[in-house]
Amino acid sequence: MNQQVIEVQKASLAYRLSRNRVGTIKEFAIQALRRQVRYEQFWALKEVSFTVAQGEIFAVIGPNGAGKSTLMKMIARVLPPSGGRVVVRGSLAPMIELGAGFNQELTAFENIVLYGALLGRRPELMRERAPSIAEWAGLSEFLDVPIRSFSSGMMARLGFSVATDIEPDILVVDEVLAVGDEAFQAKSKSRFQSMLDRGTTVVLVSHDLDAVLDLASRVLWLERGMVKMLAEPKVVIDAYRESV
Amino acid sequence: MTTTTFYDSDIARKPLLTELRNLYEYRGLIRLLVTRDMTVRYKRSSLGVWWTLLNPLFTSAALWVVFGQFFRFDTGDTPYIVYLLSGILIATFFSQAVVATGASIVNSSSVLTKVYVPPEIFAFSAAFAGAVNFVIGLVPLFIVQLATGTGIPWTALLVPIPVICLLALVAGVGLLVASAAVFFYDVLDFTAVLIQLVGYLTPTFYPISIVPQQFLPLLQANPLYSFLLVFRGFVYEGVFAPGWAFAVMIGSAVAVLIVGVWVFHRSWRQLVVVL
Repeated sequence: MNQQVIEVQKASLAYRLSRNRVGTIKEFAIQALRRQVRYEQFWALKEVSFTVAQGEIFAVIGPNGAGKSTLMKMIARVLPPSGGRVVVRGSLAPMIELGAGFNQELTAFENIVLYGALLGRRPELMRERAPSIAEWAGLSEFLDVPIRSFSSGMMARLGFSVATDIEPDILVVDEVLAVGDEAFQAKSKSRFQSMLDRGTTVVLVSHDLDAVLDLASRVLWLERGMVKMLAEPKVVIDAYRESV
Repeated sequence: MTTTTFYDSDIARKPLLTELRNLYEYRGLIRLLVTRDMTVRYKRSSLGVWWTLLNPLFTSAALWVVFGQFFRFDTGDTPYIVYLLSGILIATFFSQAVVATGASIVNSSSVLTKVYVPPEIFAFSAAFAGAVNFVIGLVPLFIVQLATGTGIPWTALLVPIPVICLLALVAGVGLLVASAAVFFYDVLDFTAVLIQLVGYLTPTFYPISIVPQQFLPLLQANPLYSFLLVFRGFVYEGVFAPGWAFAVMIGSAVAVLIVGVWVFHRSWRQLVVVL
């Protein structure tokens, strides 16, 4: 149980912001001629280090723009670090803006297969699983309907259902637990809980401090891309509440 | 714990090897993306996938009237319509697929910034979709060949060779365009214009015999000319194009693909943060 499944070592991420928002070649050429092209490095994350052990529920808190989402994307392999190193051991399911791969023109069935394939699952397997995935989301009768006619709640439910259909070793959750109506929230909480019981490692971002206090085994407080504090939930949250 | 996957940001990926492995590993996703490309585009139209054929057919019909009937271009033993349609098919494949591949990364930004998928998968899928359209386009070409008495030689079986090479060329150029398109959104418009210019330097609708001697090197410098020579040789002439054409075709395809993949891999770090 002591194995470190996530290791983040002095990881940094720089965004290059151009001062005069260059968007086209034409503008770039004009500004280059006037020698106005200037870039500013913006460090979304600066030398962040921590490790997460297997089975841990690791929460990240902090004000908006602290780099929480950037950190989640870095762990999920979407953003390669500009400096430092990230190591992840085990299969990882990202739950960052669910249903990002959905296509409005395709039916729910086709979207389940496509989204599953984007998450790295085999299309044949997804075709088999699609009916039960739709059923879990309470959308069985809409399986052959293009999702452009779905409500945003229906889409979120479908996304959650696909993302959590297979149990990953590591779940990266960015503020997506509050999905759907109350009945669905209860359902998703119990699915989440059963994953935890089975020893899934969870890294989550949340503004719901009470929930974090309740769930997390450790809490990381990010502030302007840097680690402000990393300790027991109670200690970090008390300090965080005091600072706000 | 099942350590099925392992990610270490420090392990430098070898672009070409990784590429081959990714293409195989994500073949299911590629197939889905290609069919999505083809079905979504035509989902709300009555003709469906047959729209794919209309573009080259209408273009060919218009050019046939102008250059076949008004200008009366002479293409020797080959009926002008066969010469024209075969050229248009190659040119359409190149132009449409390069633009689609170039746009693929920007268009998939919502996915690429949330889920880890090797980004080139989207680019290759767009290129593959172009190849599928091309293959569908061969059907009317074969019909025209039969109708005009040109016939279909056995060498038509070798058509996959130029098609695979063109696919590689398209993917390479497309990846370069895609890298640039993330930074500057007018790159795609710029590319469309550039491709049109290259199109005029390719003997799709005019016979090579009308080109003045001093301009021939200009045409031969255009790799698409070699692709056309090889393709036309196989598809209706029943002959092998000269060796230099094969050399240019294969050489340019391999070189451009390698450069495209390499540049794309090298710049991905910078691309993804502005995507």
